[in-house]
Amino acid sequence: MVILSIDITGFIGRFHPVLVHLPVGILLLAGIFIWLAKNERFESLRSAISISLFLGMLSAIASCVTGFLLSKTDSYEQTLLFKHQWFAIATAIISLLIYYLHLKNRETKWVAALMVLFVMITGHLGGSITHGSDFLTKAFSSSDAGSVNKPIPNVQEAVAYSAIIKPMLEAKCIACHGPNKQKGKLRLDEPTFISKGGEDGAVVIAGKAAESGMIKRILLPKENKDHMPPIEKPQLSKQDLELLQWWITTGAGYDQKVKYLPQTDQIKAILKSLASGKTDEMAAISFFPEQTVGKTPEAAVQQIRDRGVAIVPISQNSNYLSANFVAIESFTGKDLQLLEAVKKQLIWLKLGNIAVTDADLSTIGKLTNLRMLYLQKTKITDQGLVQISNLRELQYLNLGGTNVTAKGVEQLKGLKNLRQLYLFQTAIERDDLDKLRKLFSNTIIDTGGYEVPKLVSDTMVLKAPVNK
Amino acid sequence: MSDKQDQRLLKEAEHAVLQQYTRRHFLKDGAMGFGALALGSLLGGCFGKSSASSQTLFDASNPLASRPPHFPGKAKSVIYIHMAGAPSQLELFSYKPELAKLDGLDCPQSLLEGKKFAFIRGVPKMLGPQAVFRQRGKSGLWLSDNLPHLATVADEIAMLNAVTTDQFNHAPAQLLMHTGSARLGRPSIGAWVTYGMGSENKNLPGFVVLTSGGNNPDAGKSVWGSGFLPSVYQGVQCRSEGDPVLFIKDPSGMDRDMRKASIDAINKVNQEQYSEYKDPEILSRISQYEMAYKMQISVPDVMNITDEPLYIHEMYGTQPGKTSFANNVLLARKLVEKGVRFVQLFDWGWDTHGDSAGNAVDIGLVNKCAKVDRPITALILDLKQRGLLDETLVIWGQEFGRTPMQENREGKKMPFKGRDHHSAAFNMWMAGGGIKGGTSYGETDEIGYNIVSGKTEAYDIQATILNQLGFDHEKLTYESQGRNFRLTDLSGKVITEILA
Repeated sequence: MVILSIDITGFIGRFHPVLVHLPVGILLLAGIFIWLAKNERFESLRSAISISLFLGMLSAIASCVTGFLLSKTDSYEQTLLFKHQWFAIATAIISLLIYYLHLKNRETKWVAALMVLFVMITGHLGGSITHGSDFLTKAFSSSDAGSVNKPIPNVQEAVAYSAIIKPMLEAKCIACHGPNKQKGKLRLDEPTFISKGGEDGAVVIAGKAAESGMIKRILLPKENKDHMPPIEKPQLSKQDLELLQWWITTGAGYDQKVKYLPQTDQIKAILKSLASGKTDEMAAISFFPEQTVGKTPEAAVQQIRDRGVAIVPISQNSNYLSANFVAIESFTGKDLQLLEAVKKQLIWLKLGNIAVTDADLSTIGKLTNLRMLYLQKTKITDQGLVQISNLRELQYLNLGGTNVTAKGVEQLKGLKNLRQLYLFQTAIERDDLDKLRKLFSNTIIDTGGYEVPKLVSDTMVLKAPVNK
Repeated sequence: MSDKQDQRLLKEAEHAVLQQYTRRHFLKDGAMGFGALALGSLLGGCFGKSSASSQTLFDASNPLASRPPHFPGKAKSVIYIHMAGAPSQLELFSYKPELAKLDGLDCPQSLLEGKKFAFIRGVPKMLGPQAVFRQRGKSGLWLSDNLPHLATVADEIAMLNAVTTDQFNHAPAQLLMHTGSARLGRPSIGAWVTYGMGSENKNLPGFVVLTSGGNNPDAGKSVWGSGFLPSVYQGVQCRSEGDPVLFIKDPSGMDRDMRKASIDAINKVNQEQYSEYKDPEILSRISQYEMAYKMQISVPDVMNITDEPLYIHEMYGTQPGKTSFANNVLLARKLVEKGVRFVQLFDWGWDTHGDSAGNAVDIGLVNKCAKVDRPITALILDLKQRGLLDETLVIWGQEFGRTPMQENREGKKMPFKGRDHHSAAFNMWMAGGGIKGGTSYGETDEIGYNIVSGKTEAYDIQATILNQLGFDHEKLTYESQGRNFRLTDLSGKVITEILA
């Protein structure tokens, strides 16, 4: 026989979050009934008061019992818990009293008002325990939400813990390991608590990131129940993790400035991105927009597809489209005009090796959502380029194998989002390149022309030694 | 005239069908038909859901139509270079100075106990690295002098140091790498990708295979087969010498129009067959006939490397008109430019046992490296300058690695320095296609015998390739024999450590 050992009190305690809603609702309703029944129009409600008071009283007592059991299973913020507990008990007693008074046909309306007040206070205190005491007011301080990504202008001069680590812990850990709640008996809101660790011991071992409990848990697979933060909570970004590991490896100190801590190239890059306020992910190119877009009429897409263009959504759940003209037969400028019907959705357009002319670029200039545009080996020239200088979303542009010169490309300098510009085998003079690179300081310009040098070993054929 | 031809062919086909259609068929169809109907409606309630969930991406009328992946992928196409025979990681990618100190010593028993080798018997001697290693690029990746050109693009590469397999013979190990199973019958990764995404170019196959080195890989054509997927997704093997695809020219005496007319006629007959039997394979066949006709024009064009400029030939080391690995690599770039999804290259002749000079790790292997080093490096640089590297995933693959011990076939000393098959630990690398260059993942022990961390299995590599193309490897499935199959079967984890 298998003996199941169940923590029965803990199990019952876990019903508290479900049960608490009953007295809140029923007692409030009972209070409302009591007041309304004073009015002749609602006289009929009188008969419902008795039963609602009775049920409300029962559920209030049940909530008190389960709540008490739950409070023993985990660590909660003590002062809040104390208040919540006693207000709850008071509420239950008032509900008992009012039920008694009601049975004796005594006046209950002022006691009812007191009860409603107590229900609300108890409920608010309970909510503060689970959601954090600033839950209600958070909506008013929305500027705080982005504090994690707030730029740290002079990051090297800042104190590593307070400028980088503390905000990270506050954003991702403190809700459960802070003043309000101490899951696993761990608090991460103050240096002393961090050093102390939790019920499983130290979470930060200075100099040894890999052995630190905190890092170990973060690195566990998300599905693992010991993984932190729990799978349903916001996770640490790759960058957060790198910084946290770096902070622990370099000694987990609380008052050193960033510049005195050893930094690898990777950390240097991340720190730099902190200074600009752009996280790694934001600096990286995203070739598709975050916001969604409406669906295109299927007929418009089919019309383009019928011309031999591979036009498909960029993914199964997206309405954004990519179009590749590689297999089109007898291309004319009219084929591009078909794209205007999908200009909102079309974000990737491949026209390499197609006889696109300057005149066609005016059509392309209307496709203002384009993020990637391939125009390599087309017939475009400097004159045409100005017509795509308004494609503000453009991040990737391939002009390889065309006759454009630096003059033409300069017209695109307003494209602030441009990250990659391919200019292999264009008519751009080597001397003009530096100027272009300065104009496009945020853009990687690749002019190609790579060579694989000839080496003696390329053609040398080794043979077996003769004496073998 | 062609109409008349059609009519005649159609009649013939109808006749043939009718001949086969006997009274027995009628009775069987009738009985089974009603029975199946009844059963279907009975079970419909029970299994209705399962058939809805196993929806297929296969559209028989246009099986190669371009399709969106699960999520926007970084890579649009893959060039998978497989070195068949399995080159020695200890002479290329895995720097093991400790092994040099053990050179010539008897292999300790602890390494041999409970281990199975393809050829090693008794107690072999350890064999130190037969190459000079250096750190390369900004990343400091260790690469041997056997690949001096590749060393110049080390910062584009993500090295997998701890790849492992459970197969130590070529054919099953190759099957495992490419189909997710060491046994025959599963679709290859190229077939899965083409099934998932179709082709961007309706005139070219979505999955092209090119082989070099004098032989096909040991696992044969199954390694690019379609398994239980519709056969339209199998790899199309092309040749870089002579006709790119066998029988692609019109037969003598038959002109293009005649050819077209006959294909149309055959397709008409097939269409009739389909409307009768509803077998989707017939539709596959129709589209393949059409594709074959289109390929007659498009394939010779894309498979012709003579029109590439001289500097490209110098860069890749290509010689038009010959079968060579270099030619195949250049073709791979051309195919990817033309919208082909998956180009699979196999280069045969890396099985360096030490049984001959050509199979010695200090002779044959070096010569082999010289043949692939330049073209692979050129491919990476050429894709980069064309703005295609970020969307083209390049993979160096092999079915397993080689032992740190010198092979002693039948317990005897081999005439040359060679190594036996080693399944426990070897290297592969990836570049482009959203892979973070200059990274490496996983480590092996001091002699490269066992994995210490970052274990990478075939399934993990497959999951990563699918991920880069925009597929959740657990969701790209196809129903066969009553259950949903996927490439990675029951395993596989995306190697996020090497992703950009």
